Amino acid sequence: MLTADDQVADRPEHAADRPLRIALLSCAHTHAAGYASLLDAREDVDLVVSDPDGFGDVHVSERSRIVGSHEEALDAWSHGPDAVVVTSANAHHRDLVLEAARRGAHVLCEKPLATTVADAEQMVEACREAGVLLMTAFPVHFAPQVASLREAVARGSIGEVVGVTGTNNGKLPTGRDWFTDVELSGGGALVDHTVHIAQILDSVFGEPQTVHAVTNRILFADRAGDGAETGGLVTLTYPDGLVATIDCSWSQPADAPTWGGVTIQAVGTQGLLAVDPFSQHVGGFDQWLPYGANLDELMLDAFLDAVRQGSGSDVEPSGEAGLRTVKIVAAAQESVRTGQPVALADL
Amino acid sequence: MTAPPVGRLCAGIIGTGGISRAHAPGWIDAGAELHAFSLEGAEAFAEQFGAILHDDLDELLAAVDVVDVCTPTPSHPGIVHQALDAGRDVVCEKPLALRAQDARDLVEHAERAGRLLFPAHVVRFFPQYAAAKQAIERGAIGTPAVLRFERTGAMPRQPWFADESRSGGIVMDQMIHDLDQAIWMAGPVTSVFAQQNRRGEDGSLRTAHVALTHEGGAISHCRGLWGAPGTVFRYTFSLAGDGGRLEYDSASGDGVSWDEVAIAGRSSGGDYLPDVSGMASPYALEIRDAVATLETGSAPRVSGADGVTAVEVALAALESIATGRRIAC
Repeated sequence: MLTADDQVADRPEHAADRPLRIALLSCAHTHAAGYASLLDAREDVDLVVSDPDGFGDVHVSERSRIVGSHEEALDAWSHGPDAVVVTSANAHHRDLVLEAARRGAHVLCEKPLATTVADAEQMVEACREAGVLLMTAFPVHFAPQVASLREAVARGSIGEVVGVTGTNNGKLPTGRDWFTDVELSGGGALVDHTVHIAQILDSVFGEPQTVHAVTNRILFADRAGDGAETGGLVTLTYPDGLVATIDCSWSQPADAPTWGGVTIQAVGTQGLLAVDPFSQHVGGFDQWLPYGANLDELMLDAFLDAVRQGSGSDVEPSGEAGLRTVKIVAAAQESVRTGQPVALADL
Repeated sequence: MTAPPVGRLCAGIIGTGGISRAHAPGWIDAGAELHAFSLEGAEAFAEQFGAILHDDLDELLAAVDVVDVCTPTPSHPGIVHQALDAGRDVVCEKPLALRAQDARDLVEHAERAGRLLFPAHVVRFFPQYAAAKQAIERGAIGTPAVLRFERTGAMPRQPWFADESRSGGIVMDQMIHDLDQAIWMAGPVTSVFAQQNRRGEDGSLRTAHVALTHEGGAISHCRGLWGAPGTVFRYTFSLAGDGGRLEYDSASGDGVSWDEVAIAGRSSGGDYLPDVSGMASPYALEIRDAVATLETGSAPRVSGADGVTAVEVALAALESIATGRRIAC
């Protein structure tokens, strides 16, 4: 089997000695602009961005290029890209990741990893077989506050954790209508916002046993596509009795001074710990000036470091972590359909 | 000392445990002559609040116009029925009863007797919740969509609270406040899913999560916690609608803050009732509302039917915890 390492070794310049060739595929996701800007600014990256949908609002310097098709981006280097960043509409993740794996390129894929469990499994398997890294883009994983939570739980600083409330509330994304076109997004807020908290819970507590969800479509009802929920509450129960609820709603008012936020409150037998990765800001009337760590930058650092180290390296959050969160979303959707909690094992 | 005014209201507190001490100042503020009967602690209560003590319930019922039932929950139905039979109006600490039929019977009895039955859901009188309710009524958040409520405190010290057969546990005794708020703000509940986690001896630490769906489509999350020893009482809400969002956290303070050095010199924590020293006492406002209903016939902020509904939803949550299923209401 030809692995990415073999291919890189075959290439005239080794990846360690030259800029990494990165293809950022699609400008459909709102995060594409941020990732492109960070990658464009790096001396150690040669960036090509594809914008086949013609969004036209992702800008790069003369160091980088924007092209009109994924093929052009993937063919931009004679030896192919070292890695791709997939920021397409959710339903297109699978084909782009499979193509990247086929070409032996490492992959950073926007969350949610896929719109179905089958797609996510296929993507994880394809990358494993191709010997390429698959990382799922969960920037909040890199927040120092979330690291504090992980460390506190590991040290037993709040005793045994018995309950968690997580919130990931935001505005309905603007200028990207596909977010609530269920054919392209896989669903609404349940799909877009459950996975951030679910991934953090996954990294701290492992997999839940059952998933229950209720949703509605009251917030942003005039803009959300048919069948896309805009409010949701997902309750996870774990084998040791831990109960966790995620509020995944797009409940940040459209005129709020910031996009939304993430909070996690962990209740332990020896106290309560609350973390708020987006709390650091200078405020004022209708003002919100964030000064916290750039989580996208920390995530891209981790990805690029792993790419330089090659396919033998590990990178978290992995494709497997992405898959596990897709399963939680699928169970939540099934719970909404059946009106009852769903055992992950029955999925 | 001036003589009591003619026709002065006589109020009888039954059961002089923790909650009676929160209620008593409200009756005094309302100008009532305070009477009391209790199996335990009556003398200390009488000394503190100047109440006239009675040796048994019948004697108290003969002496007062209105009773305030502050006994442990299992005894509520018997005492309320007896008070209504004696022709007395009734304020009753929440929950009205541990069984829905018992609660419904009380309301039916009060209606038949033509007497007030006022379930003391005091959170409706906390100014933060009252302000939010008024704002929702005038459309400040549009249609309510996703509501979250949290209530955090230490488990009450009296042992009967730990016994779910007597108190109904954290859902029936503590979270019922937030279940009532969710219903008050977002309308009748159509389904309930609940989970509970208990730790420690006798479940000394308990948390419960409840997800409600409402008739209008809104969904609500209530999170209750009887936390580790020393847990400071705290309550929060977040109310999102299609026209805006309201948020409150009691940890944001009441306009008075102490630095760490100052705090070290004060006792704090381990509370099962909130500190209301920085606001108009919700307990007094609650009693005043009951008195206003008696004196003017105004509609009380909380009706007997509201008390029944809260018990029904709490029982659905307990059934969900027991079965692992979502329960239709």
